[in-house]
Amino acid sequence: MAALALVGVTRSFLRRSAAGRRESFTALGPLDLQIGDGEFVALIGASGCGKSTVLRLLAGLDEPTTGQVQINGQPPRNLQAQQALGIAFQEHALLPWRSVAGNLRLPFEVAGRAATDERIGELIALAGLKGFEHARPAELSGGMRQRVAIARALALQPKLLLLDEPFGALDAVTRRRMNFELERIWLESRPTTLLVTHSVEEAVLLADRILVLTQRPGRVRTDVRVPFARPRAAALMRSAEFHRLVDELTANLESG
Amino acid sequence: MRLRAAIYPAVGCLLLLGAWEVAGRRGVLGNTFPALSQVLAVYADGPRRALLGRSLAATLASAGTGFAAGVCFGCLVAMFSHLVPLLRGGLDRMAVLVNALPVIALGPVLIITAGREDTPAALASVPVFFLLYTATGVGLRGTSQRLEMVFTTLGASRWQRLAKFEALAALPSVLSGMKIAASSAMIGAVVGEWFGAPSGLGVVVLNSMQNFQIPLLWATVLVIALITLSGYGLLSLAERAARRKLGECAA
Repeated sequence: MAALALVGVTRSFLRRSAAGRRESFTALGPLDLQIGDGEFVALIGASGCGKSTVLRLLAGLDEPTTGQVQINGQPPRNLQAQQALGIAFQEHALLPWRSVAGNLRLPFEVAGRAATDERIGELIALAGLKGFEHARPAELSGGMRQRVAIARALALQPKLLLLDEPFGALDAVTRRRMNFELERIWLESRPTTLLVTHSVEEAVLLADRILVLTQRPGRVRTDVRVPFARPRAAALMRSAEFHRLVDELTANLESG
Repeated sequence: MRLRAAIYPAVGCLLLLGAWEVAGRRGVLGNTFPALSQVLAVYADGPRRALLGRSLAATLASAGTGFAAGVCFGCLVAMFSHLVPLLRGGLDRMAVLVNALPVIALGPVLIITAGREDTPAALASVPVFFLLYTATGVGLRGTSQRLEMVFTTLGASRWQRLAKFEALAALPSVLSGMKIAASSAMIGAVVGEWFGAPSGLGVVVLNSMQNFQIPLLWATVLVIALITLSGYGLLSLAERAARRKLGECAA
């Protein structure tokens, strides 16, 4: 059974035409897609194709103009109320006045669940930030902040993890390292995950399945299964299969 | 560099004060413009110093009460309108209306409702309320969109969002409003005293003007200016500290 389904989803916005009249334009869809339980799916596409809109629809931050979004047969808003959603953005979005531990405690406070020191310790270890428990976000590097944001998204063991360009603001070397870190973190609980990214390599490295969206209005053009076994080692990135898949997807992305 | 940055304003101030002294002694601006030394002499004079001290205490009490009431009320109403969006339009219009009333026109109304003693504090609170209502609202609405989305996906209630995030993120904006409101409170209190308060710097200003005690008049105005400036300065420091502490998500 699909954990997550978009059925005939479109999203339209109002904009002002060249003549100054307000008109509706379709940014997304119609889009049909299904993601299985525990599947890691990457969504790639050119800027403005509606990748982030898909993520916002799944998070219940936006409503489709037509069609339905369902997660385990429920609308996304229900998952918010059950604290079953985890989300991380390109910019870290941590509370700047709270320490690392304080930021990781936030989801528990909001959910009214006890945040044991043990659980917070686990999350800090997961993020690889032992010794930085009491540091404020401003005292951390960009990569460390993103790891805190991802650990926070996983704090309540969500059913669905949504990642919107989580490493987009990092330099290439840090980004590569963070990709392997994310896989390690993800393998610990294997939540159903949707990763929105610009980077084809990042998608191939991390995902079980890759969806390529067309230019606006975004539709699924290509749906590819990634055949590599986990955990994926750095050696994979030097293999011919890896490069063939990256090249194929890049060509697919560039064809418009 | 820091030293030079401090020297220029200091030299400028000294030149200005020197020009004041010379102009006063020469009487170039008439006999209502005393020299700085004559004004300062008022502070050295026992009875007049005691008068200024008593009046200052009274004015500070009214301005402080009005300031505190305006700040509390402004913040609370702004938070309320943030929590209940339905009321926001109406509350915004009410705040604008309150602000549009000239303090001078409000005075006589307050005299017959609040009484002479409480009019200065009441008049001080009116502009403070408006400024804090606006500044708090701006602060609460100007928070990081991404953090708002994080709170939404976590399933946070309006109240949790306010208590754990928005109220703290709005603090620098609130302090910025308080910084500007400090001088408004002082103006409100002094004007309020003109409507017949028993004591206060406003009363001294009025009496010394009518009795042609020019140096006392200037000395009183100087005290009012210094209080206003130090209120502004202290709250600027608090605002800067809050911005540093609360970081980038406090817009």
